[in-house]
Amino acid sequence: MSDPLLASAEASDLTYFAFAASAVDKPVARAEPETPRTAPGELPEVLGGRYRIERLLGVGGMGAVYRARDLLREQFGDPEPYVALKTLSEDFAEYPDANALLYSEFALTARLSHRHVVRLFGFEVDTACQRAFITLELLKGPTLDQLLSERPGGLPWQALSEIVIPLLEALAYSHSLGVLHGDLKPSNVMLADDGLRLFDYGLGQPLDGVLPGLPRLCRSRFAAWTPRYAALELLEGAPLTAAADVYALACVIYELSSGSHPFRRLSAKQAKAMELDRELQRPANLPAHCWPALRTALAFDEARRDIDAAGLLDAFRRPAPGLLQRLLRRTNG
Amino acid sequence: MEISVSPWRSAARTDIGKVRAGNEDAFLDLPDQGLWVVADGMGGHQNGALASRLIVENLAELPAEGGLEERVGRVRQCLHHLNRRLGQELTVTAERPDPVIGSTVVALLTDNERAACIWAGDSRCYLWRRGRLYQLSRDHSLVQQLIDENQLSPEEAARHPAAHALTRAVGASEHLVLDILEFDTYPGDTLLLCSDGLYQSLSPDALGAALNLPSTGMALQRLFDLALDGPARDNLSAVVIRR
Repeated sequence: MSDPLLASAEASDLTYFAFAASAVDKPVARAEPETPRTAPGELPEVLGGRYRIERLLGVGGMGAVYRARDLLREQFGDPEPYVALKTLSEDFAEYPDANALLYSEFALTARLSHRHVVRLFGFEVDTACQRAFITLELLKGPTLDQLLSERPGGLPWQALSEIVIPLLEALAYSHSLGVLHGDLKPSNVMLADDGLRLFDYGLGQPLDGVLPGLPRLCRSRFAAWTPRYAALELLEGAPLTAAADVYALACVIYELSSGSHPFRRLSAKQAKAMELDRELQRPANLPAHCWPALRTALAFDEARRDIDAAGLLDAFRRPAPGLLQRLLRRTNG
Repeated sequence: MEISVSPWRSAARTDIGKVRAGNEDAFLDLPDQGLWVVADGMGGHQNGALASRLIVENLAELPAEGGLEERVGRVRQCLHHLNRRLGQELTVTAERPDPVIGSTVVALLTDNERAACIWAGDSRCYLWRRGRLYQLSRDHSLVQQLIDENQLSPEEAARHPAAHALTRAVGASEHLVLDILEFDTYPGDTLLLCSDGLYQSLSPDALGAALNLPSTGMALQRLFDLALDGPARDNLSAVVIRR
């Protein structure tokens, strides 16, 4: 596959990647001249001479995340020498720019510092197998897709708000720094022991003007999404915007509150063709004052999705209006 | 591996076979917890291997305590979650909008004298008891469906061009339907969990003769010797369990 994944405004955008590729060639040739280079698909037991792969934690379609034991930290007596380690799966590791794609994820996420966004440790390349990988904090706890499969009826308001508010805080924070996520879905949110974490910015993008030197995914050459959570405009080839993240997160919030995907698990394209937005009802567990905001965030038409993550967060943080206010509103309306 | 702590002894092995470039099978052999699993992954590139690995590694992390019913509940819950993960949560690309990633699963759980077998797909559970071989699981495959619904003989059904297509698997459809069989066990009972790569080339007589051998390790060795003596076109995996 020769099509580059990345469109670069300047040739210098790919400097880092070119350096990484040339730097890894020599030691392989010298150290093991008789051994053919490992195909990118074969993950060695120890990556980068330091991380022993122990267990597969998740498969995302483009990459896989493993629990790894950090042998260096172990040598210094660290009682918990574990990290999560992300690599691209074989299909994507074959792309010439795959390492740059993973680096872009690292660069984007590494500049985020928020208690509800996953913490990254490092970006490295295993020289022997020519595979790039990211190490990040190892989290323990269920992901939201696991929670949803255990709670098919959705969550009561209290539990719901304890998830939705930190999740919206994480997204509003990312957007405020010009970082778009690009692939929000239940399996990319974990309820860790010490609080919620949003992770996997693998399809993330910086907003225009942010991180100008970073290679960017070119969606006209390489488009990826999760069908049930992708905004209509993404499916139609439009570039990623904050509004697409808002649509995806609104689908997740709706699903958490009702137990069901807002559009019968269909893609936005299919759901729009069937006009499913017309029958959309407020989930019973969702307070009435949150519904107009969530309803707006679920609009298929990007122009009518007139709310951002901060606006959604405001709606969910607002206390429910008291009885008197509701009566007044009814009388006035 | 012979373990004396629990009344159950077991031995497990997987082999890539003679034709395939990679091994997409995975197994779990936890006699102390009374849990054994074989999973046979499917999908292009690494996908099959990742799916079967994800299943056995998630099942391995489940809490071991509690009664059989509670543990069966946890296994079911875990498999339903993984079905959602593999079927609905995958990131896809415009080039490959519909990637195949899934796996069969057959799991055996024991608790003193009781046992439960849970499965989806065509990996099997056999029981060897007092000189007779019983197939406890029923394949979720087109060939089995043709036999059941169209009253075809196994030979006729096997001639269907898509005979080995699965009708159920983890990751294959929105709703996973698992079959569960609970039964009493007796001393001397020998159970076999295996992928189709193992049983396809072996006759029921050969399976029975192997399972009749004095130890689980010897039984496993015989099964693999026989299977690898044949064409071994597929990956093959087996767990032999004896009370």
